[in-house]
Amino acid sequence: MKLILKLALASMKMFLRQREAIIWTILLPLFIIVLFGFIRFDGLGRMHLGIVNEAGERGGAIIAALRNVKAVELFEGAKDQELRELEKGERDVVLVIPEGFDPAGKTSVVLVADPEGKPRETQLAGLVLQRVVDEMVFARSPETARIMVQTEAVKIRNLTYIDFLIPGVLSMGIMQMGIFGVAFSFVSLKKRGILRRLSVTPIRPRDFIIAQVLMRLVALIIQMVVMVGVGVLFFHLHFTGNPLTMFVTGVLGATVFLGIGFTLAGISKSEDQVAPLANLITLPMMLLSGVFFSRSNLPGIVRHITEIFPLTFLADGLRSVAIDGATLVQILPQLGGLIVWSVATVLLASKLFRWE
Amino acid sequence: MSEQNHKLQETVTGRGEDVLVVRNLVKRYGSFTAVNGISFTVGSREIFGILGPNGAGKTTTLEAIETLRPIDDGEVLLCGIDVRRDPRAVKRVIGVQLQSSSFFDKLSLVELLTLFGDLYGRTVDPLALLDEVELRDKASSYVNALSGGQKQRFSIAAALVNDPAVLFLDEPTTGLDPQARRHLWGVVRRIRSEGKTVVLTTHSMDEAEELCDRVAIMDAGTIVALAPPQELVRQLLAGGFTKERVHHQANLEDVFLSLTGHSLREE
Repeated sequence: MKLILKLALASMKMFLRQREAIIWTILLPLFIIVLFGFIRFDGLGRMHLGIVNEAGERGGAIIAALRNVKAVELFEGAKDQELRELEKGERDVVLVIPEGFDPAGKTSVVLVADPEGKPRETQLAGLVLQRVVDEMVFARSPETARIMVQTEAVKIRNLTYIDFLIPGVLSMGIMQMGIFGVAFSFVSLKKRGILRRLSVTPIRPRDFIIAQVLMRLVALIIQMVVMVGVGVLFFHLHFTGNPLTMFVTGVLGATVFLGIGFTLAGISKSEDQVAPLANLITLPMMLLSGVFFSRSNLPGIVRHITEIFPLTFLADGLRSVAIDGATLVQILPQLGGLIVWSVATVLLASKLFRWE
Repeated sequence: MSEQNHKLQETVTGRGEDVLVVRNLVKRYGSFTAVNGISFTVGSREIFGILGPNGAGKTTTLEAIETLRPIDDGEVLLCGIDVRRDPRAVKRVIGVQLQSSSFFDKLSLVELLTLFGDLYGRTVDPLALLDEVELRDKASSYVNALSGGQKQRFSIAAALVNDPAVLFLDEPTTGLDPQARRHLWGVVRRIRSEGKTVVLTTHSMDEAEELCDRVAIMDAGTIVALAPPQELVRQLLAGGFTKERVHHQANLEDVFLSLTGHSLREE
C-alpha cells in the first residue's frame, strides 16, 4: 500500500510537470467555459428591428417608447438601406414611420415583414408596436377604463447557460482524462519499454495500475475544484451540490472512461493507433451527450440512443447534483447506468490490457 | 603454471561459487527455436560476455534469465533460486539494463532512483548511486536531457538500486563513441571490483576482449564456443589460422583516441 501511494505521488508529479496533460484536462475545459461564459447568449435572442423614420420629430415618441422594450434591438436608417438589411436577414422586421405621421391624429405606421418566413418575429413586432401606439392613444384620453396587467416581483433561481455548461464540460474533462490520458500515456510507456523495465522489478502490475488510477482520481478532484471554483467566482454558477456527492458521481464516471482508456491502451501498439479510436468514441459523446447543448433538441431516435451514452449519464448526474442539489438517491438512474458501463468497460480492459 | 591450471578450471566452471547456472535452456517462438538447449555457469565476481551475430539468441537468453520471457524447457538458477519457480525472488537479486528501454519523463534522476528503490522496498542514496556512474552533476536533470552514454550509465545506476548480486547489461555500449565506450568499461570494472557479477551481450569483439573474463559465442540458438577470450584466440591460432594482413601494434581506434583524447564528449 505504501508503495502504491509512493507510485501515485510520483505519477502525480509527472502529470503536473507535463504541459499537454494540464492543457487537455484543465486548461481546455476552462477555456471552453470562459469562451462560452462571455458570449451573451441571451443577447442573441433579441429581435432586430429596423426603423425608418421619415416623420422627423413626430416619430420620436414611438422610437423612445421602443427603446424601453427589452425584447427588441433597434437599428435606425434610411429606407432603402434598412430594406436591404431586411433582405440580407440582418433585420427581422422593419418599421417605417411615414412622412405624414402625426402622433395626435388618425394615422398609421407600416411594418415591413415576411409573415411566412418569420412568423414569430412578425407577430411579436406587431404586438409590441400595437401596444406602443395604443399607449399613445390612451395618453390622449386618460379617463378611458382599462384592464391593467400588474407585475408582481418574486425572486427565482435564474439558471443560465453557464449552469448547464459547467457540469457538462466537467464531465467531458473526466472523459478526456480517462480515455486520452490513460490510453496515450500507457501506449507510450509500453512503446518506450518503460513497462518492460518495470516488469524486471518486483512490483506487481496490479499495484502499478492501481497507483495510476489513484493519481487520476486526485486529478479529478483538481478538475472539479478548478471548474466549479471558476464558475462560482467568475460566472455566477448556481452551485448547490454536495462536494462528496459530486466526487462519488465523478469517480463512477471516471471508472467507465478509465476502463475504455485501458482497453484502448491494450489493443493499440502506438499513439497513431490510439488517436482515431479515442476520437471515434469521444467525439459523438461530446456533441450528443448534452455537454454543450440540451439533448431535448435532438431528433427522437438519436435522442433515445444518446440516453445510454456513459457521458450522458455522467453529465446529467453531475448537473443534477451541482445545480439542483440532488442526492445520490435522486440520481439513481444515472448512477445505475454508470455502474453498468463501468462493469462492462473494466471487464473489457482486464481482458484486453497487456503489460507489453 | 599454476595460474594456467586455474584458468583452465575457470573455463568450465567459472570463478568461485556459481551465481548463475543455466542448464539446457530452451526458448521457442511458435515453431522457431530461438535458444536451443544451452548450458553455462557464471561465477561470482565474473564479467561474462555473450557474443553472436544478430538473431543468434543473445537477448532472448538474457531475457529468459531475467524473468522477462517464459522458459520452455531447461533450468535457470540465480543465486540458487529457480527462475521458473520463483521469478519474483529472482527479480530481487538481479539488476537489469534493457536494450532500448527508457525511463519515465518528467522525473529527475534522483527522483527516478528513489522511485526505483521504492519498487524494491529500499531506501536508496541516489547521489551515491549517481557517483558510482559519475552522473552526480546531472542529479536534477530529466533522462531526456542526457547524452547516449549518460543514459546508458544512468540505466546502470538504476539497475544497482537493489544492490543486486548479478547485473545484466544488454549491449550497453552500442551507439556510443569510443570515449564514452571506454568510460563505461571503467564503470563496469569498478562495479565488478565491488563484488558484483556482470553478464553482458555485445557485438564488439574488442569490448569482449578488453572487458570479459569469459565469453560464450552463440550462433543459431546454441553456444559454439565458451572460454576466456585469449584462450579462444590461442585455439584458433593453434589450428593454423593466419591473417593476411600484417599485424600492427595499433589500430584505427588507437589513432582516433590519440587524436581526440580520452576525455568524455558529452553535452
